[in-house]
Order: sequence, then C-alpha cells, then structure tokens
Amino acid sequence: MKIPKPKYLWTTLILLTVLAVFALPYLWIVSSGFKYQTAIFKDMAPVSWTTFLPIGAVMDNFEQLFTEKGVGRALANSLVVAAIDVIGALIVCTLAAYALTRIRFRGRGVVFALILATFMLPVEAMVVPLYRVVSGLGIQDTLWAVALPGVASVFGLFLLRQTFDQVPTELDEAARIDGAGHIRVFWSVILPNVRTALATLILIKFLFSWNAFLWPLVAIQTQENQVIQVAVAHSAAPDYLPNWGLTFAGTAVATVPLLILFLFLQRYFVRGLATTGLK
Amino acid sequence: MIATIPDARTKRTSRPGQQTQSGGSRSRRRRNVRDAAAAAGFLAPFVILTLVFQYVPLAVLARDSVHQFTLFNPEMAEFVGGQNFVRVFSDPETVQSLIVTGWFMVVFLAVVVPLGLLIAVYLNGRLPARGLVRTMVFLPVVTSSVVVATMWTFMLAQSGLISGLLSSAGVPPINFLTNKDTALAAIVIMCVWQQVGLAAVLFLGGLQAIPADVQEASEIDGAGPVRRLIHVTIPMLSRTTVLVVVMMTVFSLQVFAPAFIMTTGGPEGSTNFVMYHVYRTAFFLQDPGFASAISIVVLVFALTISLIQMRLLKMKWNF
Repeated sequence: MKIPKPKYLWTTLILLTVLAVFALPYLWIVSSGFKYQTAIFKDMAPVSWTTFLPIGAVMDNFEQLFTEKGVGRALANSLVVAAIDVIGALIVCTLAAYALTRIRFRGRGVVFALILATFMLPVEAMVVPLYRVVSGLGIQDTLWAVALPGVASVFGLFLLRQTFDQVPTELDEAARIDGAGHIRVFWSVILPNVRTALATLILIKFLFSWNAFLWPLVAIQTQENQVIQVAVAHSAAPDYLPNWGLTFAGTAVATVPLLILFLFLQRYFVRGLATTGLK
Repeated sequence: MIATIPDARTKRTSRPGQQTQSGGSRSRRRRNVRDAAAAAGFLAPFVILTLVFQYVPLAVLARDSVHQFTLFNPEMAEFVGGQNFVRVFSDPETVQSLIVTGWFMVVFLAVVVPLGLLIAVYLNGRLPARGLVRTMVFLPVVTSSVVVATMWTFMLAQSGLISGLLSSAGVPPINFLTNKDTALAAIVIMCVWQQVGLAAVLFLGGLQAIPADVQEASEIDGAGPVRRLIHVTIPMLSRTTVLVVVMMTVFSLQVFAPAFIMTTGGPEGSTNFVMYHVYRTAFFLQDPGFASAISIVVLVFALTISLIQMRLLKMKWNF
C-alpha cells in the first residue's frame, strides 16, 4: 500500500505538466479570440484562471474577421485547394498504386524508383523553381497553382501500394477468370478492400493541404485568392500592427476544422503520419 | 536408325506442342501488350504530374543556379557558371544562415529525440490518462506551423503569456524574440513543443514492436526500469531512432514560418533559417539564381541524410 503513493504523485505531476504545457496555449488563444484587446491584457495581469477562459465572451473579433478581413473567402479558398488535393490524390494515387502492384510490365521497378526518389526532395527547397514552372504554365496566382503540385503524393502512393499488396491476388484472379478487366478489378475488387487506407490518405492529404504555408505564400499574390494560413500569417507578422484578439480569432478559425477532425479520427492521423516516415 | 526414332518421336510430339506454345506466347504477348497499355494508362496521371511538378522544377533549379536574373525578367538571364555556388560559401549572410540552421538542427535534435522517447515510454506504460496525454502531445503536430508560430509570438512577447507567468514569480518581463541571445532558443523550444508528439508516436510504434518476453526476461534478471531502458529498450529501438532523427533533420531544414512570422530572421540574423533566406533572396532581393544555388546545397544535404538513412535501415527495394 505504501508503494503506489509516490507513483501516483509522479503520474499526477507528469499529467499536470503535460496538460499545462500543451493545453494552456490553446485555451489561451481560443478564449482570447472572444475578448477585446484590453480584456486580454487585463486578464493576464496577473495570470490566473480568467486568462484561459472566455469570460465575458464577445463575438466582435469573429464578426470583423468575416465582414472586413475576408476570412470567409480565405477559408473557402483553402477548402477548394484541399478538395483538389484530396480528390486529385485519391484518383491519381489509387490508379498508380494499382499499376505498381497488380499489373506486370517492363520498367515497373524503374518507374517506382523514379517516383520514390522525389520523396527525398523537401518541398520547401523547391519553391523557387516551382514558382518558375507554374508561371511558365500560366497558372500563377490561381488556386490550381497552389493545389496541383501536391496531387501526385508520393506518401499517398506509398501508403496505398503497401495496402494494395495486402489484398490477396486470388481475389483479382478470380475476377479476371470471370472476364473482368483491369478497370473492373480496380474498382470492384481492390478499392472496396482498402477503405481504411483511403480514409487515412484523405485525412493526411487534407491536413498537409490545409496547413501548407510557404508554397501558397509564394504562389498567390492577389488578396482574393489567399488561403487561410497566409491570411493568418499576414495578420501576425511583425511588419503589421497586430490586433491580438483579432489574430487569435483568426488562428482559432484556421485550426478548428482540423481539431474537430483530429479529435474524432485521431487513430487515422497518428497511423498516417507515422507511415509518412516508414517508407 | 535406333537413334532417329526418339528424334522423330520428339519432333512429331513436339509439333503440336510447339503450336500451342506459339499460340500461347502470341496470346501472352497480346496480353503483355494489353497489360503494358493498361499500366501506362493507370500510371499516366501520376507520372505526368510528377514530371511537371518534380522533375521539371529540378531541371529548372539546376539551370537557374548557374544564371543571374530577376523574376520580373527571367528571359534576360546571364550565365555565371559556378559563381552562385561560390557565393553560397562566401556571402556572410548566407554562411550565417547555414550556421544558424545547423545550430538549430543540432540543438533541436538533441532535445526532441530523447524527450520523444521519454514520452513514448510513459505512453507505453500502464499509467492512467495515457490517452489524454497522447492526444494533447499530438495536438500541435496537426496544428499548422503558422498557427503555432502565431501562438508563440504572443506567448513570447514582452506583454505575453510567458512574461506574465514569469512576473507572477517576480521575474521582469523579457521580449524573447527581439533579444539576440534568446530568439533562436525560444524557437527551438517552440519547435520541440510542436514536433515532440510525432517523435513520441513513432517511438511508441517501435516500443510496441519489442516482444514482451524480452522486457520480462530482463525484469526477471533484476534490471531496474532505468537499466532496462538503457540496455534493452534503446538498443532495440535503433531503427526507429534512425527514422525519427531523419524526419526531424528534414523538418529542421524546412523551418520557415517561425522566421517569417516571429522574427523576420532577426535579431541580427540570429534566426535567419536557410529556407527563409532562400525565400527572401529569390522574391525580395530578386536573385533567384543565387537562391537556387542555396536550395541545391540544402537539397544535397537532405539527399545525403536520406541515403544514410536507407543504408542504416538496409531498406529493401522490392518492386
């Protein structure tokens, strides 16, 4: 009976530290989004529980974001980019993964190696030439320019190739004997058997697309085509006079869609992000 | 005569055999052609996008790196040979930027890897509230770097949350981000906060792959928790460790948002991360040729790290 005591003490300490370090910043940001600038500072001197709770909440910051700052537009742009990325990646990666796992052809190894090699190129290091290519294609400053480079996702291909390999080949052989072609096998044999992987791909692709910053910053010049992350960054960057409450409300708006997805579908996120490294 | 009989027999029997075989190979060849066509069709969208958005930019990067021009007028490019690469290692601002990124990488790795392992060990135990801790620690991983940097800008500001907490303890407020000595350290701590959850989850995967009887055996042999960690767990996690180190290294090469949002690379260039330097060089100083040369140096470094990783993991390239 004596032994568990220090153990519980430690556990409680660790738990409280972790919660304080990881949860308080979020609580502070979100509740400050509901406050006027003066109230934010008043609640912080001294720091107490009112710092982290939306006491006397006002919606002014959020109203101003949507009516004056065009955050609605930025959110819509981010959604369009994410939709192109997610749907595009689903189509392109499933097709390619099928070819690489189910069709025997010469040069399969070479094609896969050439695709895989691009996995080692950090995206950020490619923004300058990517900007040149996109300008050359005449799609600069459009949402297509933001979305298209992410569609052929090596991560997605890798994840799906692994999962497709686990679908027993007897299944498609049986279908082939019944006269099904590649498209039929792909659509009615393989895809229904890899739903979890497809869900993971959708979530991870959405996450990357929604959170991307450097490339959208470079690719878009016009205000109307700005995505949410760039809008938030501009409201916080040192060259601009920050309005704390407004900026906090902006970060809350930019984060909440993902947080909701994450809290409900945590397993997929964790597994998916773990595979991004497990080539 | 005797010798010809089997000969004739094989000839006779082989003829129909050959026929079916040649018929088979024709249909097989037809099938091969059909398969190749199908493969081409299935692969085309992915391959075309990869060519356009990966390989063409790579070629453009290589060409740009030996030219001098502005983005307003890329047709007026002047060939300058290796001059841009010489500048990478002689331009003081660029050298400083590489050093800053290198320092950041070393300190960041030295903190995030052991801390990630510790959290993973905690999460792998039988202690209560594991799920909650895992969720909380992983939350910043799915939060965008922009939001994280914004949060921390205000937490680290002179009138921010951290100074507020310190002043409750009687410490005068500090503006961490405008002080040359604290800015980089503050960004390291922020990035650890953001990435430690990913490291922990990767380590947790590695821990759960360790057979339970190995742990039990060492426990029976009388090894305490610390000795078990050092002599059993860590050696069995070497693959995971390589993976975490490489992912975190690549992350540190790509740090951009903190410089853009929190410090604009200052004070005195102390947080001028290489990707921010590339961005400013290309789009503000209008020197994309030089920026491309810097990018290539970073790419070569990243490729080397990835190749070392594959060596260490003895990755199997089974097609």
